[in-house]
Amino acid sequence: MATVDIRNVEKTFGATKVIHGIDLSIADQEFVVLVGPSGCGKSTLLRMIAGLETISGGEIRIGDKVVNDMPPRDRDIAMVFQNYALYPHMTVRDNMGFSLRLRKRPKSEIDTKVHAAADILNLGPYLERAPGQLSGGQRQRVAMGRALVRHAQVFLFDEPLSNLDAKLRVLMRTEIKALHQRVKTTSVYVTHDQIEAMTMADRIVVMNAGRVEQIGAPLDLYDRPGNVFVAGFLGSPSMNFMEGTLKREGDAAHVECADGTRLPVPAGISAREGQFVVFGIRPEHLQIVPEGEGITAEVEVVEPTGPHIEVFGRLAGERICAVFSERHPFRPGERIALRCDPERISLFDAGSGQRIS
Amino acid sequence: MSAKLKKSMLYWLILSPLVVVILFPFAVMFVTAVRPRDELFVFPPTWWFSEFRWDNFTDMWVKTNFGRALLNSLYVSFASTALALALSIPAAYALSRYRFPGKRAYRTFLLMTQMMSPIVLVLGLFRLMVALGMVNNLNSLVLTYAAFNMAFTIWMLQSYFSTIPRDLEEAAWIDGATHIQSLWRVFLPLAVPAIAVTSIFGFINSWNEFVLALTMIRSSDDFTLPVQIYSQVAGRYQVEWHHVMAGTVLATVPVAIVFSWLQRYLIRGMALGAVK
Repeated sequence: MATVDIRNVEKTFGATKVIHGIDLSIADQEFVVLVGPSGCGKSTLLRMIAGLETISGGEIRIGDKVVNDMPPRDRDIAMVFQNYALYPHMTVRDNMGFSLRLRKRPKSEIDTKVHAAADILNLGPYLERAPGQLSGGQRQRVAMGRALVRHAQVFLFDEPLSNLDAKLRVLMRTEIKALHQRVKTTSVYVTHDQIEAMTMADRIVVMNAGRVEQIGAPLDLYDRPGNVFVAGFLGSPSMNFMEGTLKREGDAAHVECADGTRLPVPAGISAREGQFVVFGIRPEHLQIVPEGEGITAEVEVVEPTGPHIEVFGRLAGERICAVFSERHPFRPGERIALRCDPERISLFDAGSGQRIS
Repeated sequence: MSAKLKKSMLYWLILSPLVVVILFPFAVMFVTAVRPRDELFVFPPTWWFSEFRWDNFTDMWVKTNFGRALLNSLYVSFASTALALALSIPAAYALSRYRFPGKRAYRTFLLMTQMMSPIVLVLGLFRLMVALGMVNNLNSLVLTYAAFNMAFTIWMLQSYFSTIPRDLEEAAWIDGATHIQSLWRVFLPLAVPAIAVTSIFGFINSWNEFVLALTMIRSSDDFTLPVQIYSQVAGRYQVEWHHVMAGTVLATVPVAIVFSWLQRYLIRGMALGAVK
């Protein structure tokens, strides 16, 4: 087990720069998730840690060794690929024992380690099968088993769940997390799925266009996103945004939208009078209030998900979403009154997109 | 069930003209090969034979020095296929895995070599072999056949190699393999179907080649099968057709054996492709 230190790392393909100086320190035993939209550079960064991509600038350390010019086999890492990358011509046993055979470990040791990993992953009955004879979830487990037998210093996961169906994905998510709690190997996990990031990570690194947008514990990022991108990326349905101008009247402050709608904000906020801002509120922080109070919104679509209903509508000219755990019988076209809890809103500068606290 | 039977009978009926066209020359070859000599030219022609003459084969074997030619052909075909593969596999790997300047030009070059008929080059090749002192040497054929086959083998291997996920090699590197180990233990086993198919084509091409063999090889001891059989026909007062046909029957058999042995890899290749 080891720390991973990424210092000012850059990656260029020809003339295009895809990673712009990333700094990230991953503690020993930590589970860090890199998340971001496709093309944001998260997989490239992971592959640079793995040694599958060259590093154009900066430095990566695993433990206390600089690994910039070290081939993957010397980095003592294990990786789980999106397509599992199981060797199709080997049995599950041989797939899992391959790394140990390459290192010329004695047969008895390979056997013990493969069986130990197979026990953890419930793969015992499948050891003699070829990968082609396994289901998606089982293949995924073999891929993890291959990483597990190694006792590598760092586990790298490259969107390992994206080929599984929705139900299995949730199941495997829990399994990976449980596995990490058990073996505690430092892990770096890449995904574009913010729910995976939220549920699994000790710390989330939100990336966009080759840059780190914000790093932090999942709930910190969720509750106090540092900018509009992070606010919009984490959470599903995503945060509602409304643009307007900050106005102060006596002790109170509010954001006034173009159509005159007033959205209350905490008076202590550091925005100045007349500043052009983006007002953000999560769908679950909108509450129903009796008509005549709060802000009026028009219902457009109602989507029941089971535990909640998601109501999409218009408020101050913007499309918004509100989530309620009560089953309100709203109809399209109906006007409802909503209240935003001022303590739970986020306010961003409209120009820079940065959070105003 | 009977509907299914009817259906397959209909399909065979549709296929039958093609079957006849393909099999007719073989039938003539085979019937002529096992006929007694005096039944070769009778009028009206008969389609069958009065007795099955195995002796035609044994006589032919001795008279035409067939065994020697067979060995020559086997040597040339195996050696040239092996040489072509040994050189094509790295080339195809590089083409499918690496980016390098001139890659497109190289590919186009390979394709263009296929547009030239060997006969155009025969004179130049002959002079080249004279210069190398390799005329009348079977290795001159090994070299030229391998060279002529390589454009095709590289092209074919490269397109298959590109279907083998790069992830697998990367996984092997991370598992601790060197480049050579990942090639040897992960990549090549998965490429076996393509290598098998390519070698079938290479082998058959070399086996059947005639013009270069006729040009390069002077002494009858070094004749390959096509030239040896040709020498039984050309420039003779009397052609022993039953021997010629017995020779051609035997010349097609090894190819059929090689093909049926390797074709199971074709099926395995399809099964492997199913694993993602």
